Amino acid sequence: MKPPILITIMFTMVAGTTIVLTSSHWLTIWIGFEMNLLAIIPILMKKHNPRATEAATKYFLMQATASMLLMMGIIINLLHSGQWTMSKNTNPMASTMMTIALAMKLGLAPFHFWVPEVTQGIPMSSGLILLTWQKIAPLSILYQISPTINPNLLMPMAIASVLVGGWGGLNQTQLRKILAYSSIAHMGWMAAITPYNPTMMILNLMIYIIMTLTTFMLFMHSSSTTTSSLSQTWNKTPLTTALILALMMSLGGLPPLSGFTPKWMIIQELTKNEMITTPTLLATTALLNLYFYMRLTYATALTMFPSTNNMKMKWQFNTTKKMILLPPLTVLSTLLLPLTPLMSILD
Amino acid sequence: MALVHKFLSGTYIFRKCLKPSVASCPVLGTRFADYCSSSLQKPVAAPGKNSSQRNTEGDLQGHHQREVALDITSPGEKPEFSFDKAIKDEIKDHCRRLKDDIVNYWRGPEGRPLHEVLMEQAKVVWQFRGKEDLDKWIVTSDKTIGGRSEVFLKMGKNNQSALLYGTLSSEAPKDGESGRSGYCAMISRIPRGPFERKRSYDWSQFNTLYLRVRGDGRPWMVNIREDTDLIQRKNQMYSYFMFTRGGPYWQEVKIPFSKFFFSNQGRIRDAQYQLLLDKISSVGFTLADKVDGPFFLEIDFIGVFTDPAHTEEFAYENSPELNPRLFK
Repeated sequence: MKPPILITIMFTMVAGTTIVLTSSHWLTIWIGFEMNLLAIIPILMKKHNPRATEAATKYFLMQATASMLLMMGIIINLLHSGQWTMSKNTNPMASTMMTIALAMKLGLAPFHFWVPEVTQGIPMSSGLILLTWQKIAPLSILYQISPTINPNLLMPMAIASVLVGGWGGLNQTQLRKILAYSSIAHMGWMAAITPYNPTMMILNLMIYIIMTLTTFMLFMHSSSTTTSSLSQTWNKTPLTTALILALMMSLGGLPPLSGFTPKWMIIQELTKNEMITTPTLLATTALLNLYFYMRLTYATALTMFPSTNNMKMKWQFNTTKKMILLPPLTVLSTLLLPLTPLMSILD
Repeated sequence: MALVHKFLSGTYIFRKCLKPSVASCPVLGTRFADYCSSSLQKPVAAPGKNSSQRNTEGDLQGHHQREVALDITSPGEKPEFSFDKAIKDEIKDHCRRLKDDIVNYWRGPEGRPLHEVLMEQAKVVWQFRGKEDLDKWIVTSDKTIGGRSEVFLKMGKNNQSALLYGTLSSEAPKDGESGRSGYCAMISRIPRGPFERKRSYDWSQFNTLYLRVRGDGRPWMVNIREDTDLIQRKNQMYSYFMFTRGGPYWQEVKIPFSKFFFSNQGRIRDAQYQLLLDKISSVGFTLADKVDGPFFLEIDFIGVFTDPAHTEEFAYENSPELNPRLFK
């Protein structure tokens, strides 16, 4: 893609999300979503192959349907409240429709089927944007309408998402699909805490974005798309292998790494709200996620996976891929836990 | 849609009669009619009587005429028609497959432990050792558009191979539309899970297709289709050629997946894409060499393997002159 066109498209995508974040008028928010959607379609189709086209088509259809539902909710809200302002969102039907629309945009269960298919069909760099930047706008709206969300609707979706994210990722050998199921599970955790402490959801989102960015960058650095190609990184870049070990454990929520912080905070908030079953269920199903992260780690860093002789002892060339943000992101993805006492200001 | 298909076939058969797949075509709008493979023959009374008839080449014509007879039952047998029992059997079968699916999911991908899947270097995907192996394939020819080619599939000698045979005719159908004709094809059925869920093959561990065949010297085209949910992509496939030697010796054909070229609606496209191996839907063989007459292709097995010496990713490159938009 020519640089001017790429810059325009990226600017439109960022502008769309920014408009959603900064607006209080529902129509402007909807326009921001549409700008974002239209701008990301050429980014998803960066590699001109039929699979990328199919992935972009599926993404567009899904997001357009969600935008349609969101507009329906907005109009019902307008009918009942008489105004477009976001703060006046009292109608339960409108709130339900908006919640479902945002769940579709985020890929929460049972609207999660598009996430692995789309993520698998697009290049790694597009997948990075899809699973990180594209979550910001819908979650910001979820944050703003959180007082009016029906917890009886959102909590089952959250629990189902964590279950689906854990179960679905179990037998995947494709790295993009693993990250897609990881995204579904993390969205479930965020959705679970939204009705009770939306600020904790923002904390989870920030840490999730940092960890996912780092993971994608590491996979792009080693040009790996499958578990077996990732298992050969010890041969190409041994340092990347060690970073993958730490990052996978952080994604799985193991202390003393950064990924433990949001899980800890969310479980604490849920128990403060006198919920015992839900955090127990969430914590237990998070073990499924941890299982497949650890399996990736086992294949990559802990063991020397079997390979043919011409794969061993490769000549290590200087890398031409510039990943300037990789070192600071890796530090943030793994060493943020000691800052947890600062999070008390979020209460 | 899958349940409608099952309903239609369930009312006809109670696993004793032939499936009238042609009858389902108008309802489901399938683009070609299925020829029943030889495993779905009408029940023949005395196998000994038939084996003596099959021995001569001259009876081949009569043999495969019996093979493709549809929904004609012998007068002595009265098939049981039980709508409820057929539907209940189907539901039980699908529930059992769903249970097996869930249990296999715990074990690992494809029901095997993950380390076994990751370390696999060769796999036999289709082999022909019994009639049930033929059920995984569909044969089709230009008869669907009014042509005169005929194609049949049956088990070979000693049930060690499958024999695809027939007659190719390039006479164009007299419908005022078609100018050309003359093709025969054998396509694998799309793998289905419980409740007819579409599945796909993940061959990303492998890089070469391996075929053990014995032909008659004709050139065949090997086609691979990717799994897709879009209707427009159902016409897209990746193809390569397989030249058979003829003669009594088996031929081992190895085609790297990097050699497959992309075509859409039967036309090779200027913009070429690499075959992505993580969602393969079906493999097929097509004969369309414009040479009228009989043909045969004997297939022992079809497999995939990893050739460590083959490092090519894609054999073709896109040209800026032909596809300027790819280079913008």
